[in-house]
Amino acid sequence: MTRVSLRGVTKRFEDVVAVDRVSLEVREGELFTLLGPSGCGKTTTLRIIAGFELPDEGSVFFDNEDVTYKKPYERGCAMVFQNYALWPHMTVYENVAYGLKVRGLPAREIRKRVDEVLELVGLRGLEDRYPTQLSGGQQQRVALARALVVEPKVLLLDEPLSNLDAKLRLRMREEVKKLQKELGITTIYVTHDQEEAMSISDRVAVMNRGRVLQVGTPIEVYTKPANLFVATFIGRSALLRGKIVRADGRRVSILTRGGFKLEGTGLGVRSGDTEIVAVVRPEDFSLSPLPDANIIEGKVELVMFLGPYKQLRVNARGERIIAYVDPEEEVKAGEIIKLYIKPEDVKVYSAEGWEELEFE
Amino acid sequence: MGGSAASKLRKLSFYLDPVLIAQLLLPTTILFLFLVAPLLLVAYVAGQYSIFDVLSDPTYFSLRPRGQPVLILRTSFRGREVTIIKVVGVSFGAVINSLINAVIVTAGATVLGVAVAFVFARYEFPGKTVLRILATMPLLLTPFINVFVIRKLFDWRDGIISWFVCDVLGLPLRLGVDSIAGVAVAQIMTFFPLVYLNVYSSMVNIDPSLEEQAENLGAKGFRLFRTVTLPLSLPGLAAGSALVFIFSLEDVAAPIVFNEKRFISYQVFSKFIEATTGQLSPVAAILALILLLLALTIFASIRRYVMLRQYAMLSRGGRWKPRMRKLSAKGLLAIYLVLAPLLVFLAFPQLGVIIYAFSERWTGPLPQGFTLKNLWSIVEDPLVSRAVINSLTYSLSALALIILLGISASYVIARARVPGVDLLDLLVTSPVAIPGLVIAVGYFYFFTTFFRGTPLDPIVSGPSLLLVLAYSVRRLPFTARAVFAGLQQVHIALEEASLNLGAGRLRTLVNIVIPLISLNLLSGALVSFVYCMSETSTSITLGGLGGVGESHQAPITFIMLDYLNRVGGPHIVASLGVLLISLQLLVITLVNVVFKQRYAYVGV
Ligand SMILES: Nc1ncnc2c1ncn2[C@@H]1O[C@H](COP(=O)(O)OP(=O)(O)OP(=O)(O)O)[C@@H](O)[C@H]1O
Ligand SMILES: [Mg+2]
Repeated sequence: MTRVSLRGVTKRFEDVVAVDRVSLEVREGELFTLLGPSGCGKTTTLRIIAGFELPDEGSVFFDNEDVTYKKPYERGCAMVFQNYALWPHMTVYENVAYGLKVRGLPAREIRKRVDEVLELVGLRGLEDRYPTQLSGGQQQRVALARALVVEPKVLLLDEPLSNLDAKLRLRMREEVKKLQKELGITTIYVTHDQEEAMSISDRVAVMNRGRVLQVGTPIEVYTKPANLFVATFIGRSALLRGKIVRADGRRVSILTRGGFKLEGTGLGVRSGDTEIVAVVRPEDFSLSPLPDANIIEGKVELVMFLGPYKQLRVNARGERIIAYVDPEEEVKAGEIIKLYIKPEDVKVYSAEGWEELEFE
Repeated sequence: MGGSAASKLRKLSFYLDPVLIAQLLLPTTILFLFLVAPLLLVAYVAGQYSIFDVLSDPTYFSLRPRGQPVLILRTSFRGREVTIIKVVGVSFGAVINSLINAVIVTAGATVLGVAVAFVFARYEFPGKTVLRILATMPLLLTPFINVFVIRKLFDWRDGIISWFVCDVLGLPLRLGVDSIAGVAVAQIMTFFPLVYLNVYSSMVNIDPSLEEQAENLGAKGFRLFRTVTLPLSLPGLAAGSALVFIFSLEDVAAPIVFNEKRFISYQVFSKFIEATTGQLSPVAAILALILLLLALTIFASIRRYVMLRQYAMLSRGGRWKPRMRKLSAKGLLAIYLVLAPLLVFLAFPQLGVIIYAFSERWTGPLPQGFTLKNLWSIVEDPLVSRAVINSLTYSLSALALIILLGISASYVIARARVPGVDLLDLLVTSPVAIPGLVIAVGYFYFFTTFFRGTPLDPIVSGPSLLLVLAYSVRRLPFTARAVFAGLQQVHIALEEASLNLGAGRLRTLVNIVIPLISLNLLSGALVSFVYCMSETSTSITLGGLGGVGESHQAPITFIMLDYLNRVGGPHIVASLGVLLISLQLLVITLVNVVFKQRYAYVGV
């Protein structure tokens, strides 16, 4: 098992800083995810680790060895490419066996290991098919098998599930996680899908504009977003802009632009910040009164039943809020309702950098 | 940024492994040695002499025209009173003649080519496929012998046109085109498809909505053509016309067949006749340099419109569904009464070559007797069969080198992230723009100077090796461009996946890249091969350096030229032409139909 460290890695393409002073420590056997919006530098980071790109600054270590200048074929990584990059002129068997042939293994050993790995990913019987004769899910598994069969030091996955339909994506997500745990390979997983990242990872690094903004377990990142970007990128939170009225340690009182007075928890506020954004996750709204809770009154615009919960779209004095509530609740569009929020669920951040956020 | 030299070197070495370095150095070295150095030597030798020696000699340069452009004579011919009208053109000396001729040929070919392209690109009519094939037939290379047929068409005495007008229609006229004018007509007929194909592919690439918009604004007919269609097909027009201009300048077949010495190309060629002694007149260097500079100027001046690399890959298909219109009855009549006969006429030289090959005699206006003995003599006549074997040997050897250089260079150009790659690209594609005669002159000086007395000296060991090298360099662009086009379609991740799994660069190249571009490679190689087999300029100049004996080293085209003036020779030359036509048709079919690739129609 291998530990991967990035130390101050920077990569520029002409005037774009694709990766900006990134330092990371990926632990042995861990499934580590790079999560971030499109263009934030995830693929570039992965390609630097694989040896396809040379960083302009900084270095990459596998355990204690500096591999920054090593060629891709000297690194012992195996990568699953976003479009799978299966070789169209080779059968499934030949695709998977390639890495072993390159390593000069005897034919019998190759046969045995290819059979094993195809068994593992559930592709036995399809050995003689060509990639074009496979479904998307099957192709994805061939790509995975091709990477796994060489028993890589580090497994690199670049949005491996993004080309699959929603249902298959969920299933493959579990399979990847299971395989990774069984084999215990240090794995770096790239995705822009926060739900995927939350469900699959041991730890997540949230990236934006080439920078790593927060590293932590999915729960840490979800419950304690380190800054406004992380808070807004993960979940469909309500964002309420406003001003600080009074600050008392972590506890802050704010006045939103819509005129709501709220008690919240200051996470990314510095003294002197006046412009702030309060972030509230949809599931932190409640329809039943809570002690000491903030109250927001608004008009229900849309009700959608989504199975485990009901999604409400509420217009509260011009602020648009998404709230998930108990599906049993009787709420109808047009109704005026009161939403209760505990002060610790109102996370208050400095509004600095607000303009740079991109909203759906 | 930046950093020390050591860290820069380290960076460079990260992206350049030994295989890539070899792939970079091999074509660069070969092309520097066997293209750049000989050309520089031409310039050097030319610089040793005063260019005014040439320019003050009326053979080459004169401001007063000599001769009368049209000769009209009333006389009795074969017992009849006839008027002979013979167009011959006037001479200003070889240099000016070549230039004027190139301008006239370019203009003629452009008018013809644009007209034909416009009809094909915009109108739908029955029989179009046949006419389109006819329109490309002149591009089937049949060195010398197609011009020989053209001369036969326009001969005032026994020419087909004269015979038709005077003997069939009974008019008291005998018409002829000969000498300088004959060369121009022959070249227009041969080269117009270059304009046609380029303009055609531009036209079918025009976004139809642009024309529709103009029509909505009221532009119609010729106005629409002049203000919208033609300007938008300018890149194709520029490409095609430039090629015609250069081909006309360097073409040596038409002047030779019309026995017209007053052209640069003929002058350069004729200097080689004495070159077996090891001496080449320095005038050859001066004239070659003039040719080279003219050609390069033309290419440089149209770079705005088309990049050099595009020349090696002509006729790109349309992305849009072009606007096709049905023709009115009047239009159809014009097609069948004007365009169809015109295209048959323009394709006649190639048809004539076939007729020549299968006829016993063709001294009068019409061919006589059917025979296979001309074809048979390819095998039977030892000089001819030897030439065929020589050409095959040279072409296949050149092909091996072309494939190696083509893959190497294109791979580096497409993939390596190092500075200076553009220069290699220019080097690899430039032979399209460099007249073969200049290369011939350069090679002569280069190998007789630096390799005197060695096996590479053509005076000592004959021209075999020189021809292989010349073919390789001249026909490299076809394969290199095809490979490059293939590489652009291979997603780089397919290679990275291989590198990533531990395969080195060479292994990745052999196991992944080459199989994936095999169709492109094969197509490019076939095109290179065909144009090696029919290569003319260096073949008829350098090719004669070994002399013509039983174990001669001359290639097909040299022997074709040699046999042209022998008794019964043209029939044998024609059967070699048929051999080359068959080869070209085979390759066109393989490339277009079997491999579904694009065929590049260039090569003289
Ligand atoms: N080879 C390259 N040349 C120039 N710019 C590049 C190159 N590769 C990436 N970039 C730029 O670097 C930035 C980061 O790109 P990268 O592919 O790493 O993003 P990503 O996070 O993987 O995005 P996505 O989710 O869309 O795949 C982008 O702005 C991109 O345009
Ligand atoms: Mg990416």
